[in-house]
Amino acid sequence: MEIRRPPNSDLPLVTGPSCIAELEVLFPYPRVYPEQYAYMCDLKRTLDAGGHCVLEMPSGTGKTVSLLSLIVAYQLSSAEKRKLIYCSRTMSEIEKALAELRGLMKYRTQELGYEEEFRGLGLTSRKNLCLHPTVKREKSGTIVDAKCRSLTAGFVKEKKERGEDVEICVYHDNLDLLEPHNLIPPGVWTFDGMLKYGEQHKQCPYFTARRMMPYCDVIIYSYHYLLDPKIADRVSKELSKDCIVVFDEAHNIDNVCIESLSIDLTEDALRKATRGANNLERKITEMKSTDAEKLQNEYAKLVEGLRAADEARDENAFMSNPALPDDLLTEAVPGNIRRAEHFVAFLKRFVEYLKTRMKVLHVISETPPSFLSHLKELTFIERKPLRFCAERLTSLVRTLELTNIEDYQPLQEVATFATLIATYETGFLLILEPFESATATVPNPILHFTCLDAAIAIKPVFERFSSVIVTSGTLSPLDMYPRMLNFNTVVQESFTMTLTRKSFLPMIVDRGSDQNQITSQFEHRNDGPVIRNFGNLLIEFCKLTPDGVVVFFPSYLYMESIISQWQGMGVLDTVWKYKLILVETPDAQETSLALETFRTACNNGRGAVLLCVARGKVSEGIDFDHHYGRTVINMGVPYQYTESRILKARLEFLRETYRIKEADFLSFDAMRHAAQCLGRVIRGKDDYGIMVLADKRFGKKITQLPKWIQMALETKNTKLSVDQAVSHAKAFLREMSVPWSRGEQEGHSSWSMADLERHLEKKRVEAISGTEHPGMRAAEGRAERPRVVEVAKGEDDEFGGAGMDEVMAGLDA
Amino acid sequence: MSRLASRVPGASKRLAPDEDELCNVCKSSRYLNPDMRFLVNPECYHKMCESCVDRIFTHGPAPCPLAGCNKTLRKARFRTQTFEDLKVEREVDIRRRIAKAMNKQESDFERLIDYNNYLEIVEEVTWNLILNIDVEETERKLRLWEEAQKAELNPNATFRRVTDQPEASQLSDSSHVVLKKGGTQRRALATSSGNTSTPSGTEESGKRDTGFVFQGLKKRKLPPPEKAFDPFDGWSIEPQYYALQENHNYQWLTTYDSDPAYFAGGWQTRDYYSRMMEEAFGGMCIFLEDEKVAPLGSGDDDVGTQNAANAAIGMKDVVMDDVF
Repeated sequence: MEIRRPPNSDLPLVTGPSCIAELEVLFPYPRVYPEQYAYMCDLKRTLDAGGHCVLEMPSGTGKTVSLLSLIVAYQLSSAEKRKLIYCSRTMSEIEKALAELRGLMKYRTQELGYEEEFRGLGLTSRKNLCLHPTVKREKSGTIVDAKCRSLTAGFVKEKKERGEDVEICVYHDNLDLLEPHNLIPPGVWTFDGMLKYGEQHKQCPYFTARRMMPYCDVIIYSYHYLLDPKIADRVSKELSKDCIVVFDEAHNIDNVCIESLSIDLTEDALRKATRGANNLERKITEMKSTDAEKLQNEYAKLVEGLRAADEARDENAFMSNPALPDDLLTEAVPGNIRRAEHFVAFLKRFVEYLKTRMKVLHVISETPPSFLSHLKELTFIERKPLRFCAERLTSLVRTLELTNIEDYQPLQEVATFATLIATYETGFLLILEPFESATATVPNPILHFTCLDAAIAIKPVFERFSSVIVTSGTLSPLDMYPRMLNFNTVVQESFTMTLTRKSFLPMIVDRGSDQNQITSQFEHRNDGPVIRNFGNLLIEFCKLTPDGVVVFFPSYLYMESIISQWQGMGVLDTVWKYKLILVETPDAQETSLALETFRTACNNGRGAVLLCVARGKVSEGIDFDHHYGRTVINMGVPYQYTESRILKARLEFLRETYRIKEADFLSFDAMRHAAQCLGRVIRGKDDYGIMVLADKRFGKKITQLPKWIQMALETKNTKLSVDQAVSHAKAFLREMSVPWSRGEQEGHSSWSMADLERHLEKKRVEAISGTEHPGMRAAEGRAERPRVVEVAKGEDDEFGGAGMDEVMAGLDA
Repeated sequence: MSRLASRVPGASKRLAPDEDELCNVCKSSRYLNPDMRFLVNPECYHKMCESCVDRIFTHGPAPCPLAGCNKTLRKARFRTQTFEDLKVEREVDIRRRIAKAMNKQESDFERLIDYNNYLEIVEEVTWNLILNIDVEETERKLRLWEEAQKAELNPNATFRRVTDQPEASQLSDSSHVVLKKGGTQRRALATSSGNTSTPSGTEESGKRDTGFVFQGLKKRKLPPPEKAFDPFDGWSIEPQYYALQENHNYQWLTTYDSDPAYFAGGWQTRDYYSRMMEEAFGGMCIFLEDEKVAPLGSGDDDVGTQNAANAAIGMKDVVMDDVF
């Protein structure tokens, strides 16, 4: 949002009551884009209707600010305060959203003349929010978590009160001295702000945020806090039903859901789990000799029921997470794992069983019921106690007052696995791969427990909250997400970017100058001509592009092979004359160094080319705005590795359950990643860039691109050879170099208050005439609706139509 | 959930060092003999290689060759181990034995808590056996419980007792079976039959030692005694609307009684009566409307005549005792 000027008070955009269906929205910028206005209208519609929606709007058109300003206005105008839960993907996006919210609230105060009672907080991991001098120095997040727990757990405090000499965290303990619902003054707090405030008042920012959550109006955090059953249980349980949930950058949400419920176990993990179980056993014997009463207490509570063991939890507010259905939480723990020592032996037996399974030397794929029946046959472990495994372990760890929780991580993993496999019959698959690759001879088995159904993890979210908004820059085709995640929408809309000038040029290049095809198809990808043509394409675009060039390959493997061949062909030497060459690697630190160098090279005018991978880190979170990215090239369609067994299983599941064909899903997935890559270069309305899709197969997949790219992709640009593409690109860049001021977009792609009113007036007139004018939709930046072809159904078919069916039914019976 | 996808290089410690690789009896190692297989015997769970088992136990039972272990082992019972941990291997064997005896379901109990208590007791019994605490007492109880269960569960046994078949036939039956069996089995059966005969006496008096007592265990309901087999499934061909008389005393009928032309084929006069009555009353109280209403769709009623029969039973006012 850095494009527009900060709030300009003499031109306030107070959209009046007539604008967005009786709601006064304070927009913190003097201008609003038409698509932003339409976006807010649709949001309002969704909130009023009380349902879920899917909205696609290109990045760089101010999605976040429109979202926030509308929802905050909605919150503050309505009597019952619906809380906003804003989920985003990365830390930097969360921070951006917090800053935006802060700006918005400042503007509101300024406009309204008084400060509203409002709290907005962000939540991130302990690692980012810790203030404790020794703990915060740790680098790994899990160690910080474990150390923090050892300083802040309830029993540590009890020990302290008993006069024992234990270390505690001052920052955490100070929180208890404050009023529990007013740990931090109202307002919007960014992470930096929280840290500073915490340092001043000597209070822990992490726990402040956690504890203040029920009293906040806006919460901004990562997806995982809502989707991952283990975390969602602890963090999101107090959220009430009428919250408004927003998933921003949601194009990968199905993968997040699946990851959150999938577990991979290795032999090493199982060995560690055994060690963990042995440790637990030792601790139990220790405790039996010193403090048998505590174990007895736990036992007594478990006899009553699991929930009674943790009275602090509120029954009604508890978020039913997929790992533990509600009926399970209210039921008592089965008798055979009630005693601590029995439970540990139970775990050991289960781990041993898994170890024997690992010894098999061929690939196995198994459904949970089959696994359970074999398990029962071999070890007499029933399904029911298995379901309680995870909760029972948590309870035991709490009772034993363990501090070094990170040691029990693998055991926890096994217990979660046990619970999941005993809970779900469908939607999951167990795949055992004994060898790393097809050619390996030394077995190194991995047991994948994969979730195939993205809907399972997100189901409680859709069921629990009345309005869930799924939004991103690339969600096309829009109906795919409701199908995959199994929910119904009230609004589905795709917006484009209204532009005064054509500021980006998508092109599909399907052959080289020598008329040979360009493709990353597996059979052809290593052909000499294909690689040479890819090389020529790179050389030409490096020649003509002023600053940064970003190139995306389908996989690391292909990138490496192509680069080594280019080296032999002398392609890299030629590119080197024009641009600095940088390469993304799987290593995060190397990549960030490469990125930094790339930025420096672009800043000082030499320009650089970054070769990276379509599913890598660069393609997801890094923006190449303005001169950092003037050209983006997709070398080949970024399909997933289709030989993966997990992917195959998922494809089969999608076909059988949701009727999504394999090819459809693969191509949808490839195209959403391609679109993500393309979207990296255009980050705003005054940005411009060239998008090259270099593969002949892209020609058939145009409809799967986001609407805003589709509409800019002219037919004449869909079948180009390299030299044609070069001439188009040159013409485009010449056009872009014409001096252009922001003023030109006034009234067309950026509205002032007056423009907005004019538009509304026009709309009202049109509405009276009773036709929905397509021009009106275009002016609001809505993508054209997909033409629904209605097949006229014949009155009567030759067999006598519907009446006949009844007769037939009668005969059948 | 964080995926633990990272494969640790060389994580496979399948070929674990030393003690796994060495046969404790002959001290040969896998290094010299890569095809070596290890076997265990569930008597003592001592591991030895296949060739040692062949060498020592081929000529019949022998004591375990490991020092300090005096168990007598037989070759037939040696097997490859399923689990890496021999303790678990033994535990599972014990569980197998217990699962046979104690296999109550949640539905067998009145309340969930009773079931959970039951599970806990089972677990404790298992652990007693595993940790060798009170083995004899536990074994005794288990045996008692098993027998009690058998007595209760075997419906055939109870059925025989209920129908008061002559005691002698039962005895002769069992003795007949015993004669066919070997000596040891005969002894076992004798003791068991002795046991089962005592409960039949004591069960009426109420209490007997079942080894364990579980609260909230539902009384097992005996299945209702089977009725005699009825090939027509309750459907009778007895005439409903008339009574067939033995003899009609009419002059013109008596001639037929004595005419051999009529009874030579084996027919009696009564058969003629019966035939005639049936023909006269055939279709009585069968209403075509009812037949039609009973639609094809309602598949529950298996035959159309059933409806007619039902309707006929409803019409009680038609009283026809004797038409003649």
